[in-house]
Amino acid sequence: MTAVENTPAGVPSDAMRRLAEMRPGQATSLFTSDLSVNEFLLVREAGFRPVGLVLGSSIYHVGFQVGRWNRNQELTTLSQAMYHARELAMTRMEAEADQLGADGIVGVRLEIEFKEFGSDLAEFIAVGTAVTAEQASDSGGRSWRNNRGLPFTSDLSGQDFWTLIQAGYAPLGMVMGTCVYHVTHQRFWQAMGNIGQNVELPQFTEALYDARELAMSRMQTEAEQLRAEGIVGVRLHSHGHRWGGHTTEFFAIGTAVRPLRADHHIPVPQLVLPLTD
Amino acid sequence: MTGWDGRGLPPVAERRVRRAAENGVWTSLLSVPAAAGLRVAGLEPAGEVMGSMVAQLSLAGASCGVYGPGLGGLLGGPGFVATGSTGFGAYAEAVNRGYATALARLTREATGIGADGVVGIALTTAPIGGGVVEFTALGTAVRAAGPVRPGRVFTTALPGQDVAKLMVAGWMPAALVLGVAVAVRHDDWQSRQQASWGAGNTEVAGYTQLLNHTRADARARFTSHVRKTGADGAIVSSMALRMWSIEPSENHRDHVAEATVFGTAIARFAPTATATAARSLTILPLQHTQPGSTS
Repeated sequence: MTAVENTPAGVPSDAMRRLAEMRPGQATSLFTSDLSVNEFLLVREAGFRPVGLVLGSSIYHVGFQVGRWNRNQELTTLSQAMYHARELAMTRMEAEADQLGADGIVGVRLEIEFKEFGSDLAEFIAVGTAVTAEQASDSGGRSWRNNRGLPFTSDLSGQDFWTLIQAGYAPLGMVMGTCVYHVTHQRFWQAMGNIGQNVELPQFTEALYDARELAMSRMQTEAEQLRAEGIVGVRLHSHGHRWGGHTTEFFAIGTAVRPLRADHHIPVPQLVLPLTD
Repeated sequence: MTGWDGRGLPPVAERRVRRAAENGVWTSLLSVPAAAGLRVAGLEPAGEVMGSMVAQLSLAGASCGVYGPGLGGLLGGPGFVATGSTGFGAYAEAVNRGYATALARLTREATGIGADGVVGIALTTAPIGGGVVEFTALGTAVRAAGPVRPGRVFTTALPGQDVAKLMVAGWMPAALVLGVAVAVRHDDWQSRQQASWGAGNTEVAGYTQLLNHTRADARARFTSHVRKTGADGAIVSSMALRMWSIEPSENHRDHVAEATVFGTAIARFAPTATATAARSLTILPLQHTQPGSTS
């Protein structure tokens, strides 16, 4: 607690001296990071040093596909497009991190932005902060990189990352699964028959079940390939994008993890009662 | 109204700073947690400071340097991305100068009231119309409560709480840093093909190249600015990219991209033996939080 000895009476003198000593172009190992202050401090505390902001991007033309209007079906062209373009962005980000000699990438955001200037054009972008570990992941000197020799990736926040490491787990990689699905339109007589009724529409329910199942099982396959113990922080999104009401992308994404040690105890958190809303 | 020549601060700002320095009454834009956090870190609010600059930004006459359709091979080949030339360099310069001037004026006001730093700076632009843009920097100046003075004004976009957390952990925010880059790329035959309706699933290589080039340029400028401050690293607070198309002449389209990176350069001052000076405490707040919120 050396840094805070003289507070609250005064600002740490060291801090002011450091500012006074700053000179342009001093030879330091400069880093940039995409983390918030909380995340930055927690990642440091977890034993990692940020080495640089890394990103990968791809502008992708998403092809065109029409499903039969009266059938539940996956639109494979669109599923492939979403997969391929995300893969391009992620691979480019990993390549940047690899060049920096990073052990992993934390706080990854994977976003899609459809561009105004082209109807089927979207930018797929992956941004994160490359980190190096201060110590090997176990006493045997095992690296933090995953079984493909690539830096691990994780879309967990700095807070979640800290907690995960404390609990004895290490991230392996982000895993995802996607499925673009066309949900059938109701036949005329069927729609007429349902007017004013409170009824389940089984073919709709089944379609949504099928589509989510496809996305989630694909995510699971990726985790198995990384030889993960499990997947944490899974989110299941459905994006309408620009394909109209009956075509939806189901997108599952999470972080595959492996155990660092046999027990997974964390200190019992202290309860606090905040004096704010 | 006076005929102010654009040097230093406008007379009205000059008068305000002098009055604030004389009577010692301070104002601040701090939230309660920010004010409490700064006090823990040993910083006292000194006053609210701002800097502003109105500039005309023009892209007139800017183009990729290729005339007519399909002539992409003439200048630098189909992968041609222009940054420095043909009007875009001047535009990027003007944007950079706008932010830098607003920040310099803010720092000048802070120096005028005897402050050591400015926290929670909001750096914004607002279009006034006709290609005229106002660049504004607004923040709260703070004074160090200790005997040692840094002899310079540090600036940061981080709120007071974050400044306090950094300082307690042995890091000092040093300067608000930004990188701006603008680039243009001619729409060559391949880009038009790949982006067309019947192209199927394909990466549009030309557009990707333009975006990557622009973003890389903005990041390189950002990093070189951080290096110039002499700090140890930087925390990026926002990274934006805008891409649009222009038609400088008949049957000739170009795409333009503008990338900005904002952040705070930070410097280490505590001994590096321990990872952080203050260990964090695991707590469980007894309150209802919105699912998915991380605070």
